[in-house]
Formats: sequence, structure tokens, C-alpha cells
Amino acid sequence: MRDVAIVGTGQTVHARRRTDVSQAGLVREAVDEALADAELTFDDIDSVVVASGPALFGAVNQPEKWLVDGLGGRMKPVVRITSGGGTGLAGALAAMNQVSSGFAERTLVVAYDKLSEGALQYQISTLYDPFWGREFAVGIMGFASAYWRARIETLGHTEEAAAMVGVKNHKNAFLNPYAHVRKEITVDDVLESRPLAWPIKLLDVPPISDGACAVVLASDDAAPKTTAKPAWIRGMSYYGEADNAPDRFMLQSVPLQLAAQRVYKKAGITNPRRQFDVAELQEPYTCFELSYYEGLGLCPTGEAADLIASGATEMDGDIPCNPSGGCMGANPIGATALIRLAEAALQVTDKAGGRQVPNARTALVQAGGGWANLRGVAVVSADRN
Amino acid sequence: MDTKAAAKKMEMRGKGLGSSVTENPVFPGRIELPYTLTTGRAAATFLAELANHKIVGSRCPRCDGIFVPAQDFCAACGTSLDEFVEVPASGKLSGYTETADGLIGLVRLDGATNDFPHKLLDTQLGELKLGARVEASWAAEAEGSILDIEGFALGGDEGGEVKPLEPGAEPVLEQKYEMRLDYAHSYGPYYGMLFDGLATSRRIQGTRCPSCERVLVPPREYCDVCYVRSGEWVDVADTGTIKAFSIIHLEFVGQTREPPYVYAEIVLDGSATRLIHTVAGIDVEDAKERLQIGTKVRAVWKGGDPIGSLEDIEYFEPVFED
Ligand SMILES: [Zn+2]
Ligand SMILES: [Zn+2]
Repeated sequence: MRDVAIVGTGQTVHARRRTDVSQAGLVREAVDEALADAELTFDDIDSVVVASGPALFGAVNQPEKWLVDGLGGRMKPVVRITSGGGTGLAGALAAMNQVSSGFAERTLVVAYDKLSEGALQYQISTLYDPFWGREFAVGIMGFASAYWRARIETLGHTEEAAAMVGVKNHKNAFLNPYAHVRKEITVDDVLESRPLAWPIKLLDVPPISDGACAVVLASDDAAPKTTAKPAWIRGMSYYGEADNAPDRFMLQSVPLQLAAQRVYKKAGITNPRRQFDVAELQEPYTCFELSYYEGLGLCPTGEAADLIASGATEMDGDIPCNPSGGCMGANPIGATALIRLAEAALQVTDKAGGRQVPNARTALVQAGGGWANLRGVAVVSADRN
Repeated sequence: MDTKAAAKKMEMRGKGLGSSVTENPVFPGRIELPYTLTTGRAAATFLAELANHKIVGSRCPRCDGIFVPAQDFCAACGTSLDEFVEVPASGKLSGYTETADGLIGLVRLDGATNDFPHKLLDTQLGELKLGARVEASWAAEAEGSILDIEGFALGGDEGGEVKPLEPGAEPVLEQKYEMRLDYAHSYGPYYGMLFDGLATSRRIQGTRCPSCERVLVPPREYCDVCYVRSGEWVDVADTGTIKAFSIIHLEFVGQTREPPYVYAEIVLDGSATRLIHTVAGIDVEDAKERLQIGTKVRAVWKGGDPIGSLEDIEYFEPVFED
């Protein structure tokens, strides 16, 4: 299997609602940016992977068929990958495998969702079994808030600690020109904000966004010919578990731990806190970031609240998490995980502008979807394995 | 597997279904979703100009194609298109078919590169032939929809030309859309047994995995962990413990309870899986403090005839041991 690198990235101007473009136009905006970044044209692309959330989000089934023209995908292999909130990373994994296997030299992966078109929580509730549970489902929020409440009780992931995550990510979003939410908030603001699904409150929740992200992956042969600064993917993995398996452990994500184990082994990571210079984590709610600190080994189990309080995950800490602002700046669900990967690539190639972590060489990426049952991890680095 | 063995396996799989497959009760599921779709620049212009009885296409500067209706991207070369043109409202038939809703034709408007599917009006299958001239017939009132062209009728002169579009109408950037999907879900033997039990005797039943011996609710054919075919049917209590809960204040489309209410994931006594329901019979503000992981709950059944669904349980109420 060949090594694979990210040689170009692009994002749209994310917004609560983009009325100026169709779903195809949104996707194209990110693709044009990624191709310009890689100094490539459609002719240089061998295959295309489209990643987007559930088709009900955009009311168009099999949207990749509609997008072919806008993606320069005519007469090329075009497939679509979908896997809940982790869709973007699942798409990148499919694209990476096309390149590492020798099927393609350069593959374009584009991830998007145009969430402003419909009724999000209800759409998400349709992911439940129609016979059992859909009646009482509250999108992903009911589930997420319930297990956060359980982690408050068992792991000390307090409302204050989660509020600190929100404050940090909102602050970082100011540094990111792609973020559409720029709001200065305090811990008290979060704690006093309107409860949506207590303990989740309004300011624990990311925006609902229209947005797309595109990434060009290239083989170890093609990458150095394309850019002087490839971002090498040193490991990427994606695991799942059954939603309602007997005795499912809900306080830590087992698939996340499995994905991290596998990727760390491949990339030679034995001390994540020290070996990573920066992390991009997909925190659809503030409480998730705390949980991921532990699941990814950035701190021991039960110490996430201490880690955020110590300032270690701030921009000037020893392991900055979400210098982009994470989901708090923009959250086009299908694109969000690919945005995390793109942001990591920008960091390790010194292209992250105002949100650059100085001298970052190795970055951790995490993605998640489903009922916390789908989890992905990647390591992106200026150096090859 | 040889053909004979495969046939035998298929026969086994269908065993018990007999000819009554369609007579089994089905679970009606409906998904009704409201949307406001964004059309994009090209479709927005195309839809808007229909009110002026103009058919708008896009010209590709790279391959010189004329695409109708107007497109944001060239179907031939992928180029981003921003030059709109007015295409003649007549052309030739390059295909046709008869459907339950009438005749549908593929129309190649004069000067266009691609075919444009639409209804064919005031004609019959026998009168049609490939290459026949057709022209647009306009609806009496424009609504910013493709049906502002009512359809195409036989006729129309040759010689019309593609012209630059003189911008006039305000683009139709958004369109309301309602999706309504009706399903008839098969219960299958597992859900069938469960819901029959609920409907006839308020029994909740699960299946026990013969390997790990855990009881799965809802019952299912295979254990998700052991991948072993599940064995015996087991009655599960209508009491259980809270595994996790939260308090819902949010309002959303499709909600079945009025907020605020307690959302709970409950493990019924005797089972090892999570059931999603609501907890009531406690003040919602008190619930924050008084409910905990492990708090005991019991089902409060709805009065009247059960319907055979989770909705037969009105809610779960906490049972405090003090
Ligand atoms: Zn063209
Ligand atoms: Zn089992």
C-alpha cells in the first residue's frame, strides 16, 4: 500500500443559510478552492468521492448523480459515502484507499451538507428504527444530553467544564475566516443560556450550517510533484458498533478507542499528549470534546474537566484543540469531519494563517457520527511514517 | 453452493410465508418533511423568466454547448457557466413515451445541445414521430415552476435563434417543497410477536441470546455482539432502571410530547438493551436532582385499547425507595 498525502484543501464561505447557491453550487465552491490550492485542474483528478449526510437533509436522493457536472466527474469513477456526522472522514478514508491501492493517483473528496433546507432534528429522528424509539427520539440531542448527564455523575464532566470548551472554541473561531459564528462568550453566558436538552444549553450547541469542504489526496509518487508541502496521512481509521447492542457501554466510545489504537500504532504514537502538536476534534456539543480528550488518550479517564481547566487545550497550551473553532464556528454536518482533516493539513503545512499553531508538524483528527456509535481518527503530519 | 442447494436455501427462507405475504399486517410509517430549497443561479433565472415566456439556457464558453434549462455547470466539460441565453420556444422531438400521466417527450429546442423532457399536449402516440416540430404552450398563470410551460404541442416554425438573455425577472432563489413518504413496513416475526403481545396483553417480550444469555429488547434475530441466532422468547418486566436521562426544552417538527419533559434511556428489568421513552409523574425541575443513573421506573400504560406500539406506554414513572 502506498503512502497518501493531502495536497490541496478548500472550504466554502459557511453560513447559516446560503441562498445564492444550490447544493451543487455549494460543493463546486469548495472544489474550486481545493483545486486552486493544489494548482490542479479537473483533468488531473482520477476519481471523485462525494460525502454527504442522510439524503433527507437535502431532499435529494443519490445527490452524487446531480453533482457529477459540478465536480468534473464525467467519465470518472464517482461514488458517494455517507456515515452520519463522521461522513467527511469516512469519505476521506474511501478516497485514501483508492489512492493507496493504486486505483487512482489523485482523488478528489468533497463533503457537504446544506442543512438550512429542511427540519434538522426531525430528519435526524428518522434515522431511528421506525418501530422502536422514533416516537420519543430528539434527534441526536436527546441521546447526547442524556449520556452527558451520566458522565457528569460518573466522570465529573461538569457543565462548567463543557462551558469552557465552548468559550475556547468560540474564541478560536474568531481566528478562522471560514467560521460564520463569531461570538465572544463567557462561561457564565453558556451556563445561563437557554436549556435545549438539559444539561445541553443553547451555547453548548454548534450552529446549523450550509457548507462544503474539498480535499485532494495524492499518492507518494504524485504528491511531491504537486506540492512542496504535502500533509501525509500517517493513519486513518473508522469503527462502529451496534446502536442498541446488549450492555453497550455508553460512557466512553469503544469504537473511538479502537480507531485511536489502530491509528496510533500505525503512526508510532505512544504518548498522544506529547507527540501531537495540535488536534481538530468534531464536537457537535461541547460535552463531546471532554469525552474525546479521554477517549483519545490526551488525558486519563475522568480528568477531562481538569485538562480544559488547565488551559492545555487553548491556542497557547501544549495540546491546542480546535484552533479552527471546531463545530462552534460552522457545522455543515456532512462536511464537518472533512473540515477537521483539512484544518489539520493546513496546520502541519504552516498554511493555517491566524489560527496557525507555531511549528505544528503532527496533528490529530477525530470524527464521529450516529448515536456515538461511529468514530474515526486520523493522524496528519509534515513527516512520513 | 450449487444451484440445488441455493434453491433449497431460498425455499427454507420463505418457509411459513406461504402465499399470504401481502395479507400480513404492516406498520404504516409516514415521514412528512418541509423544505425550502435553494435553486442556484441558473435554475433561479430559468424559473423566473418563464413568467416572461422566455426559455433560458446556458452557453458554455469552453465547449460552446447550449444547455436548457440553464445549468450552473457544463454537462459536457464541467465549466462553471454564467452566460445566460434565450432559446427559441420550439424545436424537434428526439424521443417520446406514453405514461400513466400522459405523453412525455424529449424536446431538442432549436440551437440547444441537450434534450429537455416535458409533457406533450393535445396529441396521441400514433401522431408522433421523431423529428416532429413542437412548441411550448404556456400556462395561463406563472408560478415560478417548470409547469409554467404547460407542455409542448405539435407545431412551431424553424429558424428561431439563440439570443443573449436580456435580464428582466427577479431570480427565484428559493422554492418551498414538501416531502411526504408513506411506508408499509413489514413487522417480520420478531416485531410481530412483540407488538402482538403489547396489543393483546401489554406484554413486553424479548429474545435471549443463547451465547451471552442477555435478553434483547426489541427482540431480534441475531445478537448484535455474538452474531448468534437468538433463542427463546422471554417476558420482560414493565419496570426498569434509568441508564441516562435529560430534560427536553427544545421544540421541533415531528415532536410527540410537549416540552419540557424528561427523555430517558431505560433498561427494562430482565433485559440488557436500551429503551427510549419519557419519564413523568415527577416535577420536571425536581427531576434534575432526584433522577439518577439507576433510578427505578415503572411503565404507566395508556387507558383504552392498546394499539401495539411503544405509545401504549404513556410514560415511565420513577419509583423512589425512601
Ligand atoms: Zn462545456
Ligand atoms: Zn449474545
